[in-house]
Amino acid sequence: MGSPAMPRQPYTSQPYPREKSVTDGPLIVQSDKTLLLEVDHEKADECRKAIAPFAELERAPEHVHTYRVTPLALWNARAAGHDAEQVVDALIGYSRYPVPHALLVDVAEIMARYGRLRLEKHPVHGLVLTSTDRAVLEEVLRSKKIQPLLGERLEADAVAVHPSERGNIKQHLLKLGWPAEDLAGYVDGEHHPITLNEEGWQLRTYQREAAEAFWHGGSGVVVLPCGAGKTIVGAAAMAHAKATTLILVTNTVSAHQWKQELIKRTSLTEDEIGEYTGTKKEIRPVTIATYQVMTTRKQGVYRHLELFDARDWGLVVYDEVHLLPAPIFRMTADLQARRRVGLTATLVREDGREGDVFSLIGPKRYDAPWKEMENQGWIAPADCVEVRVTLTDEERLAYAMADSEERYRFCATTPSKTRVTEALVRRHLDEQVLVIGQYIDQLDELGEHLNAPVIKGETKVKERERLFQAFRDKEIQVLVVSKVANFSIDLPEAAVAIQVSGTFGSRQEEAQRLGRVLRPKSDGGGARFYSVVSRDTVDQDFAAHRQRFLAEQGYAYQIIDADDVLAGD
Amino acid sequence: MSTEFTEWLRSRSDDQLRALVTVRPELITPVPAHVEGLAGRASSPSAVGRVLDRLDRFALSVVETLVVLPAPVDHRSLRAQMALALPEGVAAAVLRTALKETVERLRTLALVYGPQNALVPAPGVREILETPAGLGPPAVEVFRHHHAERLAELIQDVGGETGDTKEALAELLGVQEIVERLVQDVSPQARSALNELTWGPASGRVPNARREVRAATAQSPIEQLLSRALLGATGEETVVLPREVGLFLRGGRIHQDLSPVPPPLDGTGRDQAMADRTAAGQAFAFVRAVEELCERWSVDPPGVLRSGGLAVRDLKRAAGLLDLPEWVAGLIIEVAYAAGLVAASGSVDGDWLPTPAYDGWRVKSTEDRWVVLASTWLSMDRVPGVIGERDERDRLLNALHPDLRRSAAAEVRSTTLSMLSAAGPGVAPSLESVRERLSWEQPRRRGGQRDQLVEFTLREAEQIGVTGLGAIAVHGRAMLPCGGGRPGAAASALAPLLPEPLDHVLLQADLTAVAPGPLTGDLRRWLALSADVESTGGATVYRFCEQSIRRALDAGQGADEMLSMLERHSTTPVPQPLSYLVTDVARRHGRMRVGTASAYIRCDDSSLLDEVMADRRALPLRLRRLAPTVIASKTSRATLVDSLRGMGYAPAAESLDGDVIITQLDVRRTEGQPSPRPPVTLNGPEADVVAAAVRAVRAGDAAHLARRLPVDAPEGQVPRSPATATINALREAIRQGAQVWIGYLDSQGNATSRILEPARMEGGYLTAYDETRAAVHRFALHRITGISDIN
Repeated sequence: MGSPAMPRQPYTSQPYPREKSVTDGPLIVQSDKTLLLEVDHEKADECRKAIAPFAELERAPEHVHTYRVTPLALWNARAAGHDAEQVVDALIGYSRYPVPHALLVDVAEIMARYGRLRLEKHPVHGLVLTSTDRAVLEEVLRSKKIQPLLGERLEADAVAVHPSERGNIKQHLLKLGWPAEDLAGYVDGEHHPITLNEEGWQLRTYQREAAEAFWHGGSGVVVLPCGAGKTIVGAAAMAHAKATTLILVTNTVSAHQWKQELIKRTSLTEDEIGEYTGTKKEIRPVTIATYQVMTTRKQGVYRHLELFDARDWGLVVYDEVHLLPAPIFRMTADLQARRRVGLTATLVREDGREGDVFSLIGPKRYDAPWKEMENQGWIAPADCVEVRVTLTDEERLAYAMADSEERYRFCATTPSKTRVTEALVRRHLDEQVLVIGQYIDQLDELGEHLNAPVIKGETKVKERERLFQAFRDKEIQVLVVSKVANFSIDLPEAAVAIQVSGTFGSRQEEAQRLGRVLRPKSDGGGARFYSVVSRDTVDQDFAAHRQRFLAEQGYAYQIIDADDVLAGD
Repeated sequence: MSTEFTEWLRSRSDDQLRALVTVRPELITPVPAHVEGLAGRASSPSAVGRVLDRLDRFALSVVETLVVLPAPVDHRSLRAQMALALPEGVAAAVLRTALKETVERLRTLALVYGPQNALVPAPGVREILETPAGLGPPAVEVFRHHHAERLAELIQDVGGETGDTKEALAELLGVQEIVERLVQDVSPQARSALNELTWGPASGRVPNARREVRAATAQSPIEQLLSRALLGATGEETVVLPREVGLFLRGGRIHQDLSPVPPPLDGTGRDQAMADRTAAGQAFAFVRAVEELCERWSVDPPGVLRSGGLAVRDLKRAAGLLDLPEWVAGLIIEVAYAAGLVAASGSVDGDWLPTPAYDGWRVKSTEDRWVVLASTWLSMDRVPGVIGERDERDRLLNALHPDLRRSAAAEVRSTTLSMLSAAGPGVAPSLESVRERLSWEQPRRRGGQRDQLVEFTLREAEQIGVTGLGAIAVHGRAMLPCGGGRPGAAASALAPLLPEPLDHVLLQADLTAVAPGPLTGDLRRWLALSADVESTGGATVYRFCEQSIRRALDAGQGADEMLSMLERHSTTPVPQPLSYLVTDVARRHGRMRVGTASAYIRCDDSSLLDEVMADRRALPLRLRRLAPTVIASKTSRATLVDSLRGMGYAPAAESLDGDVIITQLDVRRTEGQPSPRPPVTLNGPEADVVAAAVRAVRAGDAAHLARRLPVDAPEGQVPRSPATATINALREAIRQGAQVWIGYLDSQGNATSRILEPARMEGGYLTAYDETRAAVHRFALHRITGISDIN
């Protein structure tokens, strides 16, 4: 039915200029909200910069990197001052194919959720939750989890919050999908002079940027790849705060390293830095504590909680945020008035508690341009080589008959491996080689064959330190270490590592340890990581997981046959 | 039956009649015998209802005004009446033009007839429009059942002198001054009750409506109104505002707001090129989703529920498989079903399986496949949006459930999308403005169901890729009746927007292959075989693993073949771990051999088996010697036993213990009936059908008027002619409107001869005016023995 007053426009086949539907953009948007970035594309770098604020890098193999857009990543982007329009523009601008409308709508909706609610300081009530959207406030007020955390309703758009619940309420609001922006500020803490001591070294550009981004944001997480100098970023953050600092690290080794680094890089002296570990309980203007000691319980009580109140800390540093244990989260919930900086190589947590990192430590404040850093030589990924050993017929029969719980041990310690390991060591005669394994018998045998000292759990600390020092001084070229030792001691760096048995633990730990153990060779060549694997056994299944993970991390990976190693000998 | 109307219809030209039956095709299905029949059908309640349903608000108001005003109505007074309700800011000239055009349109539709100075609504219209513009019935109707004494009382209370008829009362109520006085007499509460009823609905419910109260003793507001005939009781508990009173309260206006201009379509501006791209991307994804679904159902079909639908669990599974929300999965399933790509396999405990038509669809180009799906969606009467809701008997509506049909679905889709198309390029109208516009365009169809269907249409159009970013896409528009309804044009508009198929992938050391776009058929099939799909979208991410490589090896691929395939289709060197994986899996593959044998022969005496193998009669059994003492066979155990017995051996059947039976995944197809396709009437009937119908009506009418006696057929037998010649001659006669002489075997098998004026031919039947019987008849084509010119 035509309307009389408004003649319809006759349809013409091409009323507007048409362009090719497929652009040559480097980005492909997938229906599961992953983004595929073709790294060899000329616009790849530009595109990476545009998407990094709102997408987490998930996999980085050689040609196509996978990023994932999650609500948290989008909120991180919002917290960093990006708006939905920028995100949508980046997606549309770099995408090779049309981006599904639903995804764009979703992005805008999710981003709009951040900051509708705010935590602010109030002269009378201390802390208030305010809202720019009354409907949202009403919605969260109805939540049974939120109600007990709140005081009286002050205005239509403001509710008092118990100051002690600042962390809790942020956690719960995030779970409800309405993350609150925390604008309530921080206490200054006890003043303590800290300056960087840039003698013979300089703060790298990205390290300075990271520290400044954190300081500007108040609290939050800095994401830097392994080996990019996270400790120095921590030191720079402390130099900004100029206040007493509590540093939480994963283990004692790490605590030592932090201490050494701080003495070397800052005006702090040994006396100003305390260690709060299993053996020492020092509380000084800068105190380094391990997660382990903080989470030790006796009769159900955390015995070291007082550390958090021992001083008026002006800054709390969390090393390796992605490994932060659950009790520390709970303790952190009470520390919301103090500045917090988290340092990590990845925001992805295996327990899925990324949301708690976001609400309790803070949003992502800095993300390093990995590729650029790699190009500048700050980090160097290792070459990984998997050596497949074929079991002899007798070994295969024995393996088939072994009990299921004994199977891994059997195939991991097969005698064939010893010969291959020997051959590998011979290949790298003038390099520092670490041989790592899980089973003591196997290690002892290897030590005998290689004529190398063995460090295992029972080795005395003094002996260990002597051996390590000898290894560092290149008096010893080959060192055999057990997995147990590997966990508890300050492992020296090597150009070559050979793993004969055992997994390093979780996939993340694996990558971290690799990063720590392996350093680029002095001639600039990449370090090398061998893993010796029994073919057609469960050992190989573990290796398949490792292969996938390392390849996804961008390590070069190849598989060779043991026979080739032996033949080349 | 108004003879005036019939006469008027008869006086219309052939062109005008053709225009009539083109817009009201229901009038010629089946073709009426003569103009009187046509007029009867045009004024039947259902036909009038249908055509009124299609009127926009302005045209409907014109009809309502004509119904309210005493017939016949002069065009000028019609305009004057309508001008009263003209909203501010609309020039009188706009009304003049609009009214002129609309009256002409109503004439074309045969809803209004008569000359310009005496317009009359067609018969049947008044009955359908019982409450025009929400006005109550005239006083004569309202007070029809009041007895004379009561009427006399009312007339007194209204202020009349004498009288006890309803006509007298109606006359009084028609006088403005009287009603004005009556309204002023009543209390403010009573006046506000009147105001409630003024703009409709004009009736309300009160207890004991028939109470006979007098103005002097009236207590409650309702009694005050009843006693003054400002309200009339039409039932025990219903009262109604008489039309005369209503008109007074409306200040002489019939409509409150009567814009001749439709409300504008508000919406977000979109870059049309971007909208097209987005829609094309969605179209591509939709086609792929349908294919993915059918491929999965080929090997793993869900069962048919006893009620005929698809289990909720299976819908969820499909949504999971496609990585889409459930409602989108429901849409995909329903469209695939309506397009005849999937159907229930015949048996009682049937499965939902792809049909043979799917195999034909699958090999078409993406744009052609999309056109099939999009046109199916446009014309289907099934509504996927209601999946998961409950029907009036509180039964869950599953996907593919028979009760998912809504007769209005196709039309609402078409109208809604036309609306989008009318909004102009690059405009994405909001849901509210589309709804508002629709309720202007088709006010009689307003309602919850339509609002829901409009919403479904908009969100489904976006999923299918008819629209992009809410604006109609160039290929979507081409599918619509208003855009030409040319699927070919749609396909050629869509084709350049779709990504070109690629013949390469990016291989990576983490054992993935990334196809940065759609792949060519061969490569896609090969990858689907040798790798698992990890994510889809603009690109497809495949992952190679031991199982997938083994699957390819099982399908007859060799390691070298696979490696060269990888090398050929990779722009970068094949990663070492990947080639290692292939060789490593191939190394172990097939060391152990597993085969399918439906039966075997086992015998400790190997010479006896030698004998069997050598026997020529054993050839059809397809025997294979696995070991000196074992022969495997492809035939069933029963056949094998029988055949061996026939050959003179004495075999014993062995139990299944130790027998390994490997079943293979079979790709299955149903021979069941695909879903019935609703007749496509969106574009109206074909022009030649219309022409033939009008000719038939005219011919019939001529016969009817002349009251002609049957014409005798010429003497002698009609010469026999071959069937194709007969049909060609009939077709030619239809085209020319000529008369022919045919030989016809009647139902008793007697040879007769007739003079016919053929009207149309379909479904093996000829519809024609039979001069010899002076009536329109249908003739079975196979019974026509011959044909000849009348001369």
